[in-house]
Parts: sequence; C-alpha cells; structure tokens
Amino acid sequence: MSRKTDFFLKTLYVIAWIIFVGLCIDAGGLIVNTYVTLFINPEASARFWGGMKLLPLYKFNQSHYVTFVSLLIIVAILKSILFYLILNLFHKNKLNLSSPFNKTLGKHIFFLSYLAFGIGLFSGWGNNFSNWLRGISNGSISESIQYLNFEGADVWIFMGVILIIFALIFKKGIEIQSENEFTV
Amino acid sequence: MAIVVNLDVMMAKRKMSLNELSEKVGLTLANLSILKTGKAKAIRFSTLEAICKVLDCQPGDILEFINEKKNDTKN
Repeated sequence: MSRKTDFFLKTLYVIAWIIFVGLCIDAGGLIVNTYVTLFINPEASARFWGGMKLLPLYKFNQSHYVTFVSLLIIVAILKSILFYLILNLFHKNKLNLSSPFNKTLGKHIFFLSYLAFGIGLFSGWGNNFSNWLRGISNGSISESIQYLNFEGADVWIFMGVILIIFALIFKKGIEIQSENEFTV
Repeated sequence: MAIVVNLDVMMAKRKMSLNELSEKVGLTLANLSILKTGKAKAIRFSTLEAICKVLDCQPGDILEFINEKKNDTKN
C-alpha cells in the first residue's frame, strides 16, 4: 500500500469516527428527548436537545408526534449503523487492498447499500409526512419541523443504487479472483 | 464438475510422487494439490504441456469428460 493511500485511509477513518460519534449523539439525544417528552415532562424536553422544538407538534397531536419522532429516530439509527459498518471495515481489517475481492467485503457492501436505501426510503417518508403535517396544521407547527425535515432522501436512494451496482460489480470481481486463484 | 482430473491415476501408473512431479513440472505443491483434488477451475496449456511431458502422456489421459446428466438418468 502506498503512503498516499495509507494517509487517505487514515484520514477517512478519523472522519468516519467523528461522524459516527456525532450520529450516535444525535440518535441518543432524539431517543432521550422522546422519552422525556412522552413519559416525564413534555415542557422540560423543549430545553433538552439543542434547538429541538418539537413541543408544538406534541401539543398539536401526540400520535403525529410519535410517528414523526419515530421516523427521525429510525433515520438517525440507520445512519449510525451505516457509519458503524464503515468503521468496522477499518477495524477488523476487512479492507485488504492486496486481495480486496473477498466475500466478506462483498456482503458488507451489499449491506451498506441496503442501509442507504433504507435511509432514503425513511427520509422520503418523513419528508412527505412533515409536508403533510404542515398542510393540516395550517402553518402552526411549520416552524418547529422546518429545520428537522428529512433532507436528501433522493441522494440516499441514489447512493443506495450506486452501491448496489458497485456491489454487483464487486461480486463479479470476487468470481474472477477466485477463478484466478484456482487456475493452475 | 463434468471434467474429471485423473492426475493421481497417471501418477500411480508412472510411480511418481506429488513432490517429484512438483519439482519436475515447476508447480507448487499447493497448486498441484488443487489440480489433483479437482478443485481447479481452469488449467493453463503451459501447465498441461509440462505435466504431459513429465508423465509422458496425452492431455486426454489426465482430463476426462463425464456426462453427469446421462449418468443421472441411467441411475
């Protein structure tokens, strides 16, 4: 492995760690906030998670609040899992650049693509739901969910498609490599 | 697989060990073992030529085609 590649991978590793920690805090904050809102004190939760102003939505309709927050939590958890898997790739030395086409990495890429698809689908669902909420509330809660809208659903789906194509090419690469290994 | 490798039969006929064949052909023991156990997916003409030269035989003596479908219907 060249020094440049090594440096690039180490930088990516550090960035992935930072994003993973951020996403875990995000998911954890959302879960704690929802728990406090639903079971302890809805008013106190307004000051809890930085800028999280979902109280108007909670007051507007509790079931809509639960659906909205569930979608937010699902997307946050899926994103955390995605970055956990990326870190796992670096940690368990699954990324062996001398013979990269192995079945473990192939399965890993397939799983990453499904996760990206999942994030895209749930984000799209959340986006439509928040638009619908804005419509039925006549703008009374639009400010609270405006900055929480699920952006980039199409980008995630696009990434999922690209990853699936990449995984299929990778699968072919694994076949070619194994054929090459068993050519005497 | 329908192609069967009869390398062990030819080696037994010529009374040659795997080590000796490996030295004479210039293949590693691991690769020869892959070929002998039928795990190989392909064989290079150069390898086949070297093996035939050392064992003094034809490629047909080492490789054999068995029609699995025909055998299945017979059974």
